[in-house]
Amino acid sequence: MELDDLKNTWKKNQDYTSTNINIMELIQNKHYGPVAALKKAFKKQMRLMIILPLLIFATSINDIGKVLTSVLFWSYIAFCLAVIMFSFYNYRIVGRMEGMDGMVKSNLELQVNLLQKRLQWNIIGLRFALLFFVILIEVVPYFQHYRMLDKWHALHPLVRLGAYAALFTLQYFVSRKLSQRKFGNHLMHLEELVKQMQA
Amino acid sequence: MDKQELEKQFEAHMREHELLLFKVCRIYTFTDVDRQDLFQDIVIQTWKAFPKFRGESKFSTWLYRVAINTAITGLRRKKDFITYYEPLSLPAHISDDNAAKTDEEQLKQLYEAIRRLNEVEKAIVMLYMEDRSYEEMEAILGLSQGNLRVKMNRIKEKLRQLTKEINYGT
Repeated sequence: MELDDLKNTWKKNQDYTSTNINIMELIQNKHYGPVAALKKAFKKQMRLMIILPLLIFATSINDIGKVLTSVLFWSYIAFCLAVIMFSFYNYRIVGRMEGMDGMVKSNLELQVNLLQKRLQWNIIGLRFALLFFVILIEVVPYFQHYRMLDKWHALHPLVRLGAYAALFTLQYFVSRKLSQRKFGNHLMHLEELVKQMQA
Repeated sequence: MDKQELEKQFEAHMREHELLLFKVCRIYTFTDVDRQDLFQDIVIQTWKAFPKFRGESKFSTWLYRVAINTAITGLRRKKDFITYYEPLSLPAHISDDNAAKTDEEQLKQLYEAIRRLNEVEKAIVMLYMEDRSYEEMEAILGLSQGNLRVKMNRIKEKLRQLTKEINYGT
């Protein structure tokens, strides 16, 4: 079979009948591709991080003075703000991936580049978040007394250090697994496409 | 340009190039449902990008970019992407007698063979069959003309092998 001999048949025969699809109705539908799904996830994360501190605030309304002077509460607010900023950064990165009208090769390279960068920052961000909470747990008792931390601080420092090390090791594997599940497969697919382009 | 005018222009362009979208969807999907989904995805992506279209290239060139980009980057959303398709229903022909086959039968075989190519090869062969010049293919895919020619020769050889396999029902 010679490809060139089939060109005319290809152009004529496409089992094609005009679809009569309402194009304008189609564009009203929400897009649900992988990029749109990622954007949705980051939006959800931002909303959640706004709602959670408000929820804590609302449930402690009777003892508001205690909440407002709590180091843990304000640390939690700082953490939520950092997550919101990080999610917004991710949201913007993913937004840049939505442009589909560039040349295929450069579009693929851009998407791979942005996702790799996001993956790196994701891992760094998670590590910082964990470090922040570890420091917090160790430092807070010097400023305020929390009954829930008493038992923890009664343990030998080496035991606590071991637990933190275990936590960091666990985070290393869990965050990798989670990232892989969230968008790692998509990244691998895009990298494979770039390879196909370069082959 | 107001929104109504933009919508009118967009719809006219899409109607005119409906067949182009149909071909991209046919090449990149295996079921009718996926075909409809991909068609919708491409239309939505095109609509999003449409205000940026400045007419610096032909509309069809620009549309091919959006369609191929959407097809190859967006298909993994629901389930694992089927990279290879085993056409179980295909008759296992004993001979490789292409001369005896009608053009339509050969075209069906060609489609089956194309479905076994990788995503980039599919795009190249589709543009080649549409008689797009190497210059236009370069503008769509971003690969140099020399590279495209080399790839096209390889694809032709691969398709010959694949159609032979299909003929023998392997």
